[in-house]
Amino acid sequence: MHLSLVQWDATAKWLQTTSIAFAMRDYPWLWAGAETVHFLGLAMLIGAIGVLDLRVLGVAKQMPVGPLHQLVPWGIAGFVLNLITGIMFFCADALQYSHNIAFQFKMLFIALAGFNVLYFYVGGVFHKVEALGPGADAPFNAKFVAASSIFLWFGVMYWGRMLPFVGTAF
Amino acid sequence: MEFLTWVEQLSFSTWIRESGSLWGYSLILTLHTIGLSMLVGISFALDLRLLGFGKDLPIGPFERYYPLLWIGFWINALSGVILLMADATTKMINPVFYVKMGLIGFAVWNVVIIRKRMFHASGGLPPNARALALISLTLWVTATTAGRLMAYLGPVAGLQQ
Repeated sequence: MHLSLVQWDATAKWLQTTSIAFAMRDYPWLWAGAETVHFLGLAMLIGAIGVLDLRVLGVAKQMPVGPLHQLVPWGIAGFVLNLITGIMFFCADALQYSHNIAFQFKMLFIALAGFNVLYFYVGGVFHKVEALGPGADAPFNAKFVAASSIFLWFGVMYWGRMLPFVGTAF
Repeated sequence: MEFLTWVEQLSFSTWIRESGSLWGYSLILTLHTIGLSMLVGISFALDLRLLGFGKDLPIGPFERYYPLLWIGFWINALSGVILLMADATTKMINPVFYVKMGLIGFAVWNVVIIRKRMFHASGGLPPNARALALISLTLWVTATTAGRLMAYLGPVAGLQQ
């Protein structure tokens, strides 16, 4: 256990010596630009996924679910933008991030949101809601997945915002 | 400037800025991010539909998302005022702040125009729907960029030491 932690720190230190890490530390505009993209990605993710979650929960019930699902690729695109920019931040300051409790919680919430998505598609929930037409009510487990999605992504934002304020400050 | 100093020195502003409480500055920043995701996120989704993505989606029910869009707006207006009070002397002399306010003004105005034209008009989408959606996307992207850049350009609060 202790050994793996040491190896983890060694990996973090190595990440900090990669060219992307140097670039992030040497060019302030690169950091600022990545932050901006990170926020736009966040808005894309919450926008595209949020309107679907809300429909499943019963807001804008006249919206057919199948076509609304066509916006999901935009949410995935937002997530990918944030994954890329997130890796850029992490490389630049890997040791501090990995030891930060807010960062650990953020990763946990992202993982839980990932399992939630997995359950939505693999667990048959999507199959049940896909055919819902205007005015049709979603089953309880679909509503639970939708509510969890909103809670978890808002949680991800909360922990992300807490990064400079909790634990190792930077 | 005297007034800005007075605002910044209010015990409330000082507490937000300096208490280190998780209910202070960090919570207000989180609320500002959550409000952004509601306001800009829902606008993005509507703009994408107006641009022709998700073509099978009826436009009408989108109007139901507007109350949440406005809740996002008001969360950010209130949290924004608090963040401004906490760092009044630096933010109010930062040109980027005025650029951001101008862009948000136009973006919100555009959201209202879209609502009037798209939902209160009879018949199909008006021919300028795509143009309005592109303007909306551009304004929200630039407004969000300006907001982020306030932490890096001009007089920046919190980094003077």
